[in-house]
Amino acid sequence: MLRYVLLKLGRAVFVVWAAFTLTFILLFVLPANPVDLLFDPAELNSVPPEVRAQVADGYGFGEPVVVQYLDRLGHALRGDFGTSVQSGRSVSASIADVLPYTLLLAAGALVLAVLIAFGVAVVATSARRRWLRTLVESLPTAAVSIPVFLSGILLLQVFSFRLGWLPPFGDAGWQSLVLPLVTLAVPVAGPIAQLLVRSFATEFRAGYVTTGRAKGATRGRILTGEVFRNASLPALTIAGVTFGNLVAGSVITETVFARKGLGRMTQNAISTLDLPLVQGIVVFVAASFAVLNLVVDLAYPLLDPRLRAALTTGRTTAVAAERSIA
Amino acid sequence: MAAGLVAVLIAAVVVALVRGGGADAEAGASTPVRGGTLRFALIDYQRSPDPQWGTNYAESLIGNNITDKLTWQDPATGAITPWLAQSWEYTKDLTEFTFHLRPDVTFSDGTPFDAQAVKANFDQYVHGDPALGILPNGAPLLAGYQETKVVDEHTVTVRFAKPSASFLQASSFTANAQPGFLSLSTLKLSAQQRTDPKKIIGTGPFVYESWEPQVKTVLARRQGYHWAPPALHHDGEAYLDKVVFNTVPEASVRTGSLASGAIDATLDVSTTDEKPLADQGFQIIHRGVSGTAIHFAFNSSLFPTDDLAVRKAIQLGWNRQTIEKTVLTPSYSIAKSILEPSVPGYADYSGSALKYDPDQAKRLLDQAGWVPGPDGIRVRDGRKLTVKLLGINNLVANKPAYESVQQDLRAIGIDLQLTVVPIPDYAAQQAKAKDSWNITAANRSRNDPAVLKLQFSPASGNTSYLSQASPGVDLNEVTQTLGKLETTLDPAQRAQYTKAAQDLVVDKYALVNPVYNPSQVIAQAPYVHGILFDAQSRNHFVDAWKSDGK
Repeated sequence: MLRYVLLKLGRAVFVVWAAFTLTFILLFVLPANPVDLLFDPAELNSVPPEVRAQVADGYGFGEPVVVQYLDRLGHALRGDFGTSVQSGRSVSASIADVLPYTLLLAAGALVLAVLIAFGVAVVATSARRRWLRTLVESLPTAAVSIPVFLSGILLLQVFSFRLGWLPPFGDAGWQSLVLPLVTLAVPVAGPIAQLLVRSFATEFRAGYVTTGRAKGATRGRILTGEVFRNASLPALTIAGVTFGNLVAGSVITETVFARKGLGRMTQNAISTLDLPLVQGIVVFVAASFAVLNLVVDLAYPLLDPRLRAALTTGRTTAVAAERSIA
Repeated sequence: MAAGLVAVLIAAVVVALVRGGGADAEAGASTPVRGGTLRFALIDYQRSPDPQWGTNYAESLIGNNITDKLTWQDPATGAITPWLAQSWEYTKDLTEFTFHLRPDVTFSDGTPFDAQAVKANFDQYVHGDPALGILPNGAPLLAGYQETKVVDEHTVTVRFAKPSASFLQASSFTANAQPGFLSLSTLKLSAQQRTDPKKIIGTGPFVYESWEPQVKTVLARRQGYHWAPPALHHDGEAYLDKVVFNTVPEASVRTGSLASGAIDATLDVSTTDEKPLADQGFQIIHRGVSGTAIHFAFNSSLFPTDDLAVRKAIQLGWNRQTIEKTVLTPSYSIAKSILEPSVPGYADYSGSALKYDPDQAKRLLDQAGWVPGPDGIRVRDGRKLTVKLLGINNLVANKPAYESVQQDLRAIGIDLQLTVVPIPDYAAQQAKAKDSWNITAANRSRNDPAVLKLQFSPASGNTSYLSQASPGVDLNEVTQTLGKLETTLDPAQRAQYTKAAQDLVVDKYALVNPVYNPSQVIAQAPYVHGILFDAQSRNHFVDAWKSDGK
């Protein structure tokens, strides 16, 4: 068991280190010099070389690459990713500043998405009318295929510009959170609902349901008591996918609704080649992924007795392989 | 000094004329209302509240409203008029400029604006401060800056290593990384500390109330302000209580917010939104961006643009009317020179070097030995007439305009290949432009004819990569002719030099193909008045007001 935990922990640390190193390599071998981006593109040719050198030194870009790497890695280990080239603020502070807004948006959207997904799955599995089942079953596919950008603009047109119910942009209280939440929740709900619909259907055909019904339990009782718990296990597996969807969706949602957040900061940092900021964000997101996966990995044995049993007998690798196939 | 006074008088008359008979006729008829909050949207956000740092439009625009400059450039005439400096004189060789400051100006923390403040600002602006993490933001603008001498409490002398006629315009500069004055207490702070808006202390008509990166910046009226540029004829404080700058990246959200009343005015109106907004009763106000037009700068040392005939054929070979009709709105204009019309000394080449004459273009190419190949593209010595362009997609009209040029040039046998990319990619490629791009396409915002020297002289920017490898170009002639723009401030002489510089760049050596004049466009509700465009086409809100005062 300890070996399993250490293995998973090691993998998480490796992922974060790899993200740091890869962004360093990618960003620093890129043809663009971040120093150039501090000047008006039309003025680039007339910036004196000594000024360029002074600016580069100011950010430590003048040092040899290996020295820069070790220096940055050393600081990063202490949570210091340097200062943003574009604003002069510390990268960690910049991320910490916008993080709550994205977390609120992402967490809210996830809760909403799960509610929508369960709703869809329940209706799709238990509806008696065939046409209703077919309709609801097709919803997740539709949800995944609507671009976030388009649904955001549509919601704005209707509820903000025409009806005037909700503010179109900014962070003014809960009202300004409603449309972004819905926009972000819809595509995230898609894959969760798809998975739930499928596993609900499988579970309903399972033997224990028939047994339960034979014993006289109601459909609703079986649904809440048995099917939910059994069908939820695979849902944990797609948490990673969902997290990815949330991150990607927040970039667009935050841009359309002009919200403060990590997504928009990422987009801005990339479009202005703000290297320290990009690196800080990538490492942060990678770390979040790694931690999330670690939690899932560690939660699995707790939820699945078969895995727990296998681990205590020391068949770690075989089980890991089995899980990755599943 | 007498010349300065005349310039002020002319400026005042022009301002009176423009204001009386211009687009804002309604505003002239009624008295400004005090109070209210103007909600203004724009595409960018302020990444730092420090106005000397910022390089995007939001940063310069907001910076202009919390700081003031030594001088004010009249947007209509280009004349440099008093502001925080009441008067000035300069040495004949234009290396020393002495400014006499207004004695009654204070920073918003109550400290006086004086000679010491000017010196401290300029020194740090040009040299930066590595210990504080302050970059040499002003080094490109004040090239050749040596020092500022404090003559007495209200007199300073700014010294340059070489003649710097354009410095007088730089003393009014309101665009990116601008010389807006900050208090001594602010100058002591590090770049990081300067991201606290409350610590950014200027002398401007507004002070920071709050700054939320990515979302908005709120400015509040500065109590006791009474030193707006005399040319504006604005007495006392700003009319508005507050200005809220909302960052709204999406075009449809900006226009939707304006139409639904969530904002009062918006900058960054795209060309396709202008007419629908005007039809809904919103007022469209605009000003061309002073400096150079959006232009193709030809690489004169790289095949095939090292051939004068090719450069001239590209100037003559595309139909400007097509772009005016299909790409631009009335807020924009087609370029008739490398200079934008508001730059003093602008000359019109639409009837000569910059006319549409495909037959003449073909003749030039024929004479130079370019013969049409099997695919219609001309060939000489087995090499195709393929011209590679690198452009920026930051303005919506750029790509369609270039595509229109591309189509017309193809008809005369020139293969123009377009690579139009975001600013970072452009900057990345720019470093290799000398050896790999025939054309770099951009504009430069600087309302002074010396922009031509800064941009094209082998002694400074050299965007045309003039070198010994540029056949048929007299390097010395270009350096001398463009260099003269920094040597005099006598209007008649400067106009003459400006004409000579344009003749050389546009006509004789055809180093550029000017395309169109970019514009800053605002859509505002009918109750909004008095938003000003300055000489750099940045906005000032000291004179702005809302009829409803809300």
